[in-house]
Amino acid sequence: MEARPAVSVQNVVASQLSNCGASGTLSSSLSMFPTALGEKCTKFPDLQQASMEKELKQHPRTVASSLPSNSGAVGLMFSSSSGFSADLHFSSVSTQEKHSGPTSFISQSTYSETSITFPHSGVLQSTASSQYLNENHEPWCIDPLPNFLDYSVDTPVQNSQVACSDKQSDWQEWADLVINDEDALTSNWNDIMADTSIADLELKMQYPEEKQPLNFQMQQVQESEQIPAVHVENLAIAPASSPASSAATKQRMRWTPELHEAFVEAVNKLGGSERATPKGVLKLMKVEGLTIYHVKSHLQKYRTARYKPEASEAGSSEKKQSSLDDLSSLDLKTGIEITEALRLQMEVQKRLHEQLEIQRNLQLRIEEQGRYLQMMFEKQCKSMPGVDLAKGSSSMADDAFAQLSDAVQNSPGTNDPGVSKIVTAKEVDEKQKLREREVLEDPETNITSPSDSPPLKRSKLDE
Amino acid sequence: MKFGKRLKQQIQETLPGWGDKFLSYKELKKLVKLISSSCASRMMMNGSLEYGKAEAEFVYLLNNEIDKFNAFFMEQEEDFIIRHKELQQRIGRVIDTWGPNGSQPSEKDCKEELGKIRKDIVDFHGEMVLLINYSNINYTGLAKILKKYDKRTGGLLRSPYIQKVLQQPFFTTDLISKLVKECESTIDTVFPPSCDVISRQLVLGSEKIGAAGEGIFRNTVAALLTMQEIRKGSSTYGRFSLPPLSLPDQSDVIQSQLNSPIAIP
Repeated sequence: MEARPAVSVQNVVASQLSNCGASGTLSSSLSMFPTALGEKCTKFPDLQQASMEKELKQHPRTVASSLPSNSGAVGLMFSSSSGFSADLHFSSVSTQEKHSGPTSFISQSTYSETSITFPHSGVLQSTASSQYLNENHEPWCIDPLPNFLDYSVDTPVQNSQVACSDKQSDWQEWADLVINDEDALTSNWNDIMADTSIADLELKMQYPEEKQPLNFQMQQVQESEQIPAVHVENLAIAPASSPASSAATKQRMRWTPELHEAFVEAVNKLGGSERATPKGVLKLMKVEGLTIYHVKSHLQKYRTARYKPEASEAGSSEKKQSSLDDLSSLDLKTGIEITEALRLQMEVQKRLHEQLEIQRNLQLRIEEQGRYLQMMFEKQCKSMPGVDLAKGSSSMADDAFAQLSDAVQNSPGTNDPGVSKIVTAKEVDEKQKLREREVLEDPETNITSPSDSPPLKRSKLDE
Repeated sequence: MKFGKRLKQQIQETLPGWGDKFLSYKELKKLVKLISSSCASRMMMNGSLEYGKAEAEFVYLLNNEIDKFNAFFMEQEEDFIIRHKELQQRIGRVIDTWGPNGSQPSEKDCKEELGKIRKDIVDFHGEMVLLINYSNINYTGLAKILKKYDKRTGGLLRSPYIQKVLQQPFFTTDLISKLVKECESTIDTVFPPSCDVISRQLVLGSEKIGAAGEGIFRNTVAALLTMQEIRKGSSTYGRFSLPPLSLPDQSDVIQSQLNSPIAIP
């Protein structure tokens, strides 16, 4: 077990919790926490193992969907909280099956189906957890709703200013902490309750912190819970790393041309799209993480794609025949006309594509810049509380932007005049908005001289 | 409501089967209104409870939308990958049979086949571009609705949520873009070298423009115009807004296409 992450987690949670004067109970539960998470086995090993993957992936949705239907606040809290601990349990068990920490969350990628078994186990856990919690945590029973709702539907952190990679590494540390213990299958109810109580308390803590952007650490803890959702989508892009375990997983696979090449090769080896079977193709392809369902659906598409052109060729050639017949005398001219019409269509399409690319890049950069500046604000706030650098910084910001605009205009790299105009307009606009934002922001918030940002931006422009 | 209208327009013009895959902008907007009106009064008292609940519901819906986009997008992407390969193979076959080493003498067949291939490639290219457009429009819609939400409810949902969106499969359109570019280079090989001026005049005068991929072409043009409109400038122009779109010279050609006298089925 990794001591350091455990300690850091403890510290994080403990510091927050001690603020609320709840340190007594919690430090004991906290000490149990790393060990608890390490030793996994619930009281319903069969149930869980059997439906584990399904539950894992359906957890966020199920909890979310159970929310509106659940009348009792307390019951709601418990099912959500047990969901949380169940989540960790599942992740640890699934990672016992030789997967790395982050990838265990991949099976959460499909949110669509609701499980039948999950509420079942959830109920069982919740009754037990309710007993425990009633003993020790009455004060927190009162207002649990928003917290769990916040958590269980993967609400992104409201004041998160942390870069994504940071979040992910924290979560990985925590997950590793959870996962690395050998006895993942042997926990007891107390451990589960400890998890649950901690989950409650953390989530309870999150709520008052919602409106305070400066409470960084708690956000970190909260965010790390959100990461599975992000992670899942990211990891879905690399199909090879997805877990091959669950037979019932209808997880979405993102095909790539390379993968398709391998597929076609396998199909051809087996004698063509009609004769090839999904099983055979799967075996031949030897791609980790590919399930027979993926191959099946892909094969179906492949067959349709091959068959359809023949059908549609017949159809369209009829159409073409009729239109060609009309001008049969001017065969050559029609040919040229059609070709040129197609060319025109191509031009328009190319134009649209170009604009879409530009737009997308702009959108990415806008968000990136916004995030970057936010980060700078935060850093500045932390390092020099109370010092008002607004005035000095704004002039520096102006200078920086002015330099940037010049760089944009003078740079030969920017192709269209349209592009450079867009970029300059954007920079000017941002300059204005930065000033406005300075005014609107909390007066104590400082704007760092973005001396780092112009080189950053310039280097990007010069690409 | 401007974006809402544009979105509706785009959906109307869009390819069959895509219509319900777009963002349910109107519904989300209604929800935001509902949230802001119901929460506003209660914010002070016990509003925090309501607020958390409402936000959760909102996020839940957004997540559903994103799942919808992802599923549709990845499905289309898969189809495109398959079709791309098929087209390459077809072209290869044509070149083999009618190229310098070919044995088939029939030039008419060759021309026919080439014609079909050209049409198919151009349509294929168009569909891919429209998928990218789909992705972009939905992203824009999401960004707008999040901005509205933050504005109406005073929340801070937008920034972190949009970070999450940026990484979703439906927004990471790099692969499709690559396919589009490959398609473009393939097209250059399949099309005869162009004699611009004369042929353009022919085309603009001709009434048979409709024969070439009506739905896709029309949708593409509509998409371009929509994009232009959306970015024209808004009352709430902020640091996260895109600057206006500048479409160089071709715009009159595009306009004329859209206003062509051909009846659209």
